[in-house]
Amino acid sequence: MSLATRLSPPALDDSRGAFFDARPPASGDVDLSVTIGSLTLANPVMPASGCFGPELGRLIPVDEIGATVTKTVFAGSRGGNPAHRLTEIPAGMVNSVGIPSKGPRGYLSDLHPAYAELGVPVIISVGGHRPDEYAPIVAELDAAGAAFEINVSCPNLDRNGVDIGADPDAITQVVESVRAVTDKPLIVKLPPMVSSIVDCARAAESAGADALCVSNSVPALPLDSVTLRPALGNVIGGLTGPSMRPIILRLVWLTSTSVQVPVIACGGIETANDALEYFSVGARAVQVGTASFSRPYAMVDIVRELTQRCRAAGATTVAQLVG
Amino acid sequence: MSSTGTAGLEGLVRVRPPETGLRPEPTWDEAEVVAHEVIGGRYHRLVLHSPSIAARADAGQFVMITVPSAPGERVLLPRPMAIHRRRVATGDLEVIFNIVGRGTDVLARAVEGDALLLTGPLGRGFEVPDGDGPVLLIGRGIGVCAVMGVAEDAQAQGVPVLAALSGRTRDTVIGEADCDELGAEPVIVTDEDGSSAIEALETILRTRLDGTPPRVVMVCGSGRLTRLAVALGREWNVPVQVSLEAHMACGVGYCHGCAAPIAARDDVEGPLVCVDGPVFDAGDFDEVA
Repeated sequence: MSLATRLSPPALDDSRGAFFDARPPASGDVDLSVTIGSLTLANPVMPASGCFGPELGRLIPVDEIGATVTKTVFAGSRGGNPAHRLTEIPAGMVNSVGIPSKGPRGYLSDLHPAYAELGVPVIISVGGHRPDEYAPIVAELDAAGAAFEINVSCPNLDRNGVDIGADPDAITQVVESVRAVTDKPLIVKLPPMVSSIVDCARAAESAGADALCVSNSVPALPLDSVTLRPALGNVIGGLTGPSMRPIILRLVWLTSTSVQVPVIACGGIETANDALEYFSVGARAVQVGTASFSRPYAMVDIVRELTQRCRAAGATTVAQLVG
Repeated sequence: MSSTGTAGLEGLVRVRPPETGLRPEPTWDEAEVVAHEVIGGRYHRLVLHSPSIAARADAGQFVMITVPSAPGERVLLPRPMAIHRRRVATGDLEVIFNIVGRGTDVLARAVEGDALLLTGPLGRGFEVPDGDGPVLLIGRGIGVCAVMGVAEDAQAQGVPVLAALSGRTRDTVIGEADCDELGAEPVIVTDEDGSSAIEALETILRTRLDGTPPRVVMVCGSGRLTRLAVALGREWNVPVQVSLEAHMACGVGYCHGCAAPIAARDDVEGPLVCVDGPVFDAGDFDEVA
């Protein structure tokens, strides 16, 4: 419904003008590109699933980021969770939106055209309640996605927070089944709360994943501090934001030293320096989520600053920059 | 942005028919705090210099205000606030808020010269229909802010406005000076003298209207006032529009944090307050269906 919103053309006095015009020159002195399977992204910055929509294209030059990632598409139609769907804590937010979805057909007709117009690769996030639900969705969306992010880890779908991503055998089953129906790059988004994320990462890699995303949000139960009742309609949600960073830095370090495929870090990244922290522990790309809410241009800022930081240090790649 | 949530309004709220005109393109802006005033010891009124947003905002739209970092206080999510006034000549807009949590507590420390990141104008505002009679605005507390833009437009169009301004006490009622400035007729009702009670307000409104029904009723800030507006709208056979609030993170439609729980089916998401609202139609839609 939101994509059909009628909008007037931007006004001439648009205060974004200077920001839109400020893109760095396309000289080849710095190469931020990153390769995920057969897909090469111009730079390693992309949104976290659920924290982006084509609506953001009205506020920022989306063609400056490496890729877009869609909200997770499920097999059937989902309405999402009851209100309140999000709440804030110190240094974080907890959401339980519940991934409203129109199913693959609805995605193709109602959402994909707007993503496709943005001019950067579209990574379609796919989810399921059971391992056998993933492959049919990917098969139906195969032509539309530049790559697929296999979401085995949304904490909001079961009230106890247990999911497919906690079971290496289930991960293997999902990834093998999806691998069989597409040649497109597959990114497996892992949950943070597992007994061994290395086992999960290796299972995904062995089954054919081209990259891993580490990680989804941390299951959490925020209370209203006055009423002492749950702050979210679904009681349990997923914690995101800067409080996640040291937790996810550890997980990225553990996984990136255990697998050969690239690791995409996702956890509280707000600035280029945050991204560099993750690159220094082995990440090859980053996803930005919560930061975009308060600063719509956070992703573009990170791309620009990474370029500038490389130039200032005389580095041509981020790898050189972080040593 | 207002204090009317959707709780208790199931069946009384629905998305309005598709717009016929274009909605202003949102932008973002580093807005300077021009003035900060405390009203009635309770509310904070910020005047923010943002020519690009002030010039393009429709009545009833809102902005997302990013809360600046403060010593020992880090607030992550921007706060939605109704645009109370648009002053295009000076490039300013006004918001009014009450301290209800950490975000508004930090915003209340803003001083002249500070810069605040604004995104807006956002959402679908009020639309004044053609017709006879005045526009009836009903607002309680900071809910008044959501409807005051209508009085700005009505003044420019020569449409009379009757504005019921409700509050706990006389000195915390918002909007009286705005009504004076805009040529709108204020009706001040308060809890302390009992005039804000629904039956009392209804009597006052009937007396003031003197048998001439308004062309539209626009309400914000109270579920009880919304139900009164719906009842009066049904009696008068005039449309009722209500501005709702919801927790939201992005304000532009992609976070889906603000879906209103008024969908007919569980497998369909309710309308998003940020883009399908915040202004919705109000009425007895279950009975109509």
